[in-house]
Amino acid sequence: MVHRQLFSIAVALGGLVIACGGACAHPHVWVTMHSELVYASDGSITGVHHAWTFDDMFSVFATQGIESKKKGEFTREELAPLAEVNVTSLKEYDFFTYAKANGKQLEFNDPPAGYYLEFDPKDTVLTLHFTLPLKKPVKAKLLTVEVYDREFFIDFSFAEKNPAKLVGAPAPCKLSVLNPDQMDASLAQQLAQLGANQRDSNLTIGSQYANKIVVKCP
Amino acid sequence: MPVKTVVGGRPVVHFLLLVAALAGLLLLVGVFDAAFAQASPFGAPRGQVPAVPVGGVLGWIFAKQAEFYRQFSGLIRASKADGNAAWSLFGLSFFYGIFHAAGPGHGKAVISSYLVANEETWRRGVVLSFASALIQALVAIVVVGVAAALLNATAATMNNAVNVIETVSYALIIVIGLRLLWVKGRAFFAALRMLHRPAAVGAAVTPPDQLHAHTSHDHHAHDQHEDDHDHHHPDANSHSHDGHAHCECHDHSSAWGHAHAPEPEELAGPGGWRRGFSAVVAVGARPCSGAIIVLVFALAQGLFWAGVVSTLVMGLGTAITVAATATIAVGAKSWAARFAETRSGYGMLAMRGIEVGAAAVIIAFGTLLLAGYLVTERMVGI
Repeated sequence: MVHRQLFSIAVALGGLVIACGGACAHPHVWVTMHSELVYASDGSITGVHHAWTFDDMFSVFATQGIESKKKGEFTREELAPLAEVNVTSLKEYDFFTYAKANGKQLEFNDPPAGYYLEFDPKDTVLTLHFTLPLKKPVKAKLLTVEVYDREFFIDFSFAEKNPAKLVGAPAPCKLSVLNPDQMDASLAQQLAQLGANQRDSNLTIGSQYANKIVVKCP
Repeated sequence: MPVKTVVGGRPVVHFLLLVAALAGLLLLVGVFDAAFAQASPFGAPRGQVPAVPVGGVLGWIFAKQAEFYRQFSGLIRASKADGNAAWSLFGLSFFYGIFHAAGPGHGKAVISSYLVANEETWRRGVVLSFASALIQALVAIVVVGVAAALLNATAATMNNAVNVIETVSYALIIVIGLRLLWVKGRAFFAALRMLHRPAAVGAAVTPPDQLHAHTSHDHHAHDQHEDDHDHHHPDANSHSHDGHAHCECHDHSSAWGHAHAPEPEELAGPGGWRRGFSAVVAVGARPCSGAIIVLVFALAQGLFWAGVVSTLVMGLGTAITVAATATIAVGAKSWAARFAETRSGYGMLAMRGIEVGAAAVIIAFGTLLLAGYLVTERMVGI
């Protein structure tokens, strides 16, 4: 019927006009991560150290107009003001880092002094180094750290080599790193291993799109 | 009147259509708003499940534009040594523009709503789309050209400049929406009033040369009007006289009741282009972050001209997507208008209602953008 067609067109029109919200935002910043989980001598985790390398286009954009002694190269000192801006603005976004110990959300303090930016003149990329200390160090049988931008303006991914490291962790602790792409395969495998009525509380379906560090300490 | 009864089924359908369309729009806006309010980094609880990337066509578009974007740096670097790489760069820019415009921003929504609210033709829609994309490209080129190339300003300075442009642009969008809401809201209520005065429907149209006589409300004009009844102009849309207040005060003036809606010709016609231009500026003013980054990167590689051409080609691609969306919007509207034309009662009311809805959508967009709930692009200060 014509009216029904008309109606569906009106709805489609509405959809076209409104659709494509944040979900189809596309990032202009890519970050490749190396992360370290830092442990105290008593076996509790104290914080996360991130080294985030920005993509070359964004790095060049970010360093535009910054004065340097040597053209095309920047020292840590020359980049110090930019590093401060970075860390300050990242606060608003919780540093895109979300950690859980035994399923319970952990809270971080702001990074202490000592954070810095490094410029690699060969690849023209910037790397931001900073530490996120936990408010309260914890011991956890299961620890997860996820890094993602929910709005997807920044595309985070772990480096292919040495994506994550445990520093000073108790010997039996095991580290695994899951990327969004690999997640589906590994998730499928894990699911396949589960019995029909079995439930694995360690498996949190729904966050399979995040970059995830998982540490299991027996 | 048996004929009327048959036709009488239509108004109900039209009215339902209107209500459904508006409800759908509002619902979508609501969902939209909620989604963005949640996505806002401020006050958002930590560790929420991340937004699941959209699958299907949108997911594909989304993946494509990211894929294209990542190839810019390699091609710009390669263009330094190899002229052919520059052609690949421009080709990439074109496709990136097409895909990128499918994402948020780029005024697709605002331009489409503007066209729907404004009784514009698809041709004008296409022209307005291309004009806004061109302005967007030029703003990016000027911002980078002046700030980075001439003044060697920092990225932060450029971001600030873009933020100022952005705020002005969003405010302009709201102003345009409010203006349309005012005009179309009046038209809507005029159409509504007309419904309650069936005698007025399809009543005579005063010839233009009698226009000035009306203000005096004299009996001569009244008589003249009665004579005109015989002519019975079928298209209640075509006459141009503006709403005169006299309809409120005299019974006989109810015959002009339908005349109080501002007619399409007032909005299109001469002067319409000027209004269209304001929409183009409002929508096109905000440069796309991708273009700015590409320009700065090209500048750093000593190939600013390649960045400029790339940005213009990107704008061309963007224009195609925006124009396609606008054409669909206008097409849907004129389809609806064909049904509405058969009646000036409920059909008119429905059309005016759709226009009011489109104006409201523009205001909603502008407000959400200005308030920061709806972020089309973000630089995060890193």
